[in-house]
Amino acid sequence: MANKPRVGIFDFTGCEGCELNQLNFEDQLLDILEHVEIVEWREAMDGRSEELDIAFVEGALSTPDCIKRIHEIRRKTKVLVALGACAVQGGINALKNIRPIEQVREEVYGQDKYLFPTLPALPLSAVVKVDVNVRGCPMTQLEFLKVFTALVMGKAPIEPGNSVCTECKLKDNECVYEKGMICLGPVTRAGCDAQCPTFGQYCTGCRGLVPEPNVEAMQEILVAHGLSMDDARKKLQLFNANQLEGVS
Amino acid sequence: MARFYLEKGKVAAFIAHLQSQKTVYAPHRKGRNAFAFAPVERPEDVVLDYPRTVSSIKKYFLPAREELLSFNLVENTCAQPAVAPLDAVFLGVHSYDVHAVLKLDHNFVAGNPERNYLTRRQGALIVGVGFTPDRFHFSGSVGIPAGDTTGCDLFLHPCEGGYALEALTPGGEGLLAGFPLPAHAAGLPAAAPFHQHIYVPQAKLKDVLAHGYDSEVWEEEAEKCTSCGTCNLVCPTCYCFDVEDAVDITVTRGSRERHWDGCLLRSFTEVAGGEVFREEPADRQRHRVFRKFKYISDETGEPWCVGCGRCTASCTAGISIVSIVNRLVNDYDAVKA
Ligand code: SF4
Ligand code: SF4
Ligand code: SF4
Ligand code: SF4
Repeated sequence: MANKPRVGIFDFTGCEGCELNQLNFEDQLLDILEHVEIVEWREAMDGRSEELDIAFVEGALSTPDCIKRIHEIRRKTKVLVALGACAVQGGINALKNIRPIEQVREEVYGQDKYLFPTLPALPLSAVVKVDVNVRGCPMTQLEFLKVFTALVMGKAPIEPGNSVCTECKLKDNECVYEKGMICLGPVTRAGCDAQCPTFGQYCTGCRGLVPEPNVEAMQEILVAHGLSMDDARKKLQLFNANQLEGVS
Repeated sequence: MARFYLEKGKVAAFIAHLQSQKTVYAPHRKGRNAFAFAPVERPEDVVLDYPRTVSSIKKYFLPAREELLSFNLVENTCAQPAVAPLDAVFLGVHSYDVHAVLKLDHNFVAGNPERNYLTRRQGALIVGVGFTPDRFHFSGSVGIPAGDTTGCDLFLHPCEGGYALEALTPGGEGLLAGFPLPAHAAGLPAAAPFHQHIYVPQAKLKDVLAHGYDSEVWEEEAEKCTSCGTCNLVCPTCYCFDVEDAVDITVTRGSRERHWDGCLLRSFTEVAGGEVFREEPADRQRHRVFRKFKYISDETGEPWCVGCGRCTASCTAGISIVSIVNRLVNDYDAVKA
């Protein structure tokens, strides 16, 4: 390929578990690097670039500085890709949003709280236009590879809109509800090949809600399977606190 | 044709005898409380007394995921993978799942014949088995008793101490060659009752559904429904699919995959340009039920639901197709009677 896309990799508030070098890509990482030129990556190199074809951004926005930086990245980038649940939905960080922000600040930083300005944890899309999402906590490798090849080919990646249940059924799995467990698969976006139910775990909803989710129906299902209304809400909030409040 | 007695103690030897002739697919335990068809490795792992499997044997003829094409972007070439007749024995299939395969045969022969499905279907021999209806089965209401042998080559009727093994076709008799069994002289035990019923025949359901098109039941059920699509994906007569191209990481080659999809899913009704042609969950629920009892049924005179109960048993929201249909019947009778 004559002109390799110029790529930058950025991180905000998150555990850095989604960063490319953290993931177990094994042989594929070399193939990935073959197709692009990485020009900006705090983890691995110095320097900044003025123009980018693709920016991969992980982490949620949670400080005034984050907001400034994401605007800078957006300005110089053609395609902005949100990597992982924190960047796409605000992730676990967004749990702090369900309580008053001052209380959260006080609990975490105590009397030093004035040194650490904090904002509700937001998905990138709440502040700038995001072109592509790679979901999951940590991000789903399968989806990253699909998105990556589509972008290298100059095509728009297709974002799955089906539920995790569909992938679970494609694999002929036993539904974990049959074992007396609960699961958020019915309202969670497919794309991970239903990996948790496949290994006998339940889906915690890390890939975010399907488009137009029937949250009330999901809550009723959880309650019918033994959870209190409050616990049902908490299960749904784990990865989707922002979406449940209409922030996305 | 003939009826033999297969005592319980000989079942494993019988399965081994089938294995010596062809690949055998049969129900196995999967997870804690579920069952799934799988190729038989050890005859003693086969479970012949089970309520229902997660998917039906449809998955062997119309795989959940299937490569339709592989392509090479550098050489600009593509190839269809070889598809061969399965030439296998399907052991321990319930009557409703055999009927479901016959319905799919109809769907895939009509119009544009579905090459892959029809090729795989060739040579399949079916050994049916009776079952005790649980609280979800209602195949009796759609004309399929538990002991119905339609479409089977052999059938295992559960009876005292084992099975009355009925040979129904020359293919079935061929499977028995070399496995001597005594004749089964006694009659068959009375069929166990169903616990779910749709009380009206298809001829009337045709009018019932037409009358129920604008029923409130669709909205009421949609309120409980997460649009997860499970009811479609587990249905043995559903055959909708989506097709997706995937390119491998070298960006030189890839494949086109077909996978099951379903009309309850919002994304299924989303087409090019982002238009969603069946936006309301209530409309999608109605569409599913009409696909089972009206659209194809008006042409064939038969329900396109085989009463397996999978959709209802697997719906985490507890939405029951039998309750929906019976509600429509009641509404119809209240007006027309
Ligand atoms: S285990 Fe979860 S994802 Fe799988 S079918 Fe059941 S509810 Fe859906
Ligand atoms: S099954 Fe659910 S929790 Fe597990 S990876 Fe998939 S979306 Fe995340
Ligand atoms: S399985 Fe139940 S909740 Fe899921 S789409 Fe079907 S009716 Fe709705
Ligand atoms: S509609 Fe439900 S009961 Fe009828 S065949 Fe399909 S899954 Fe079975």
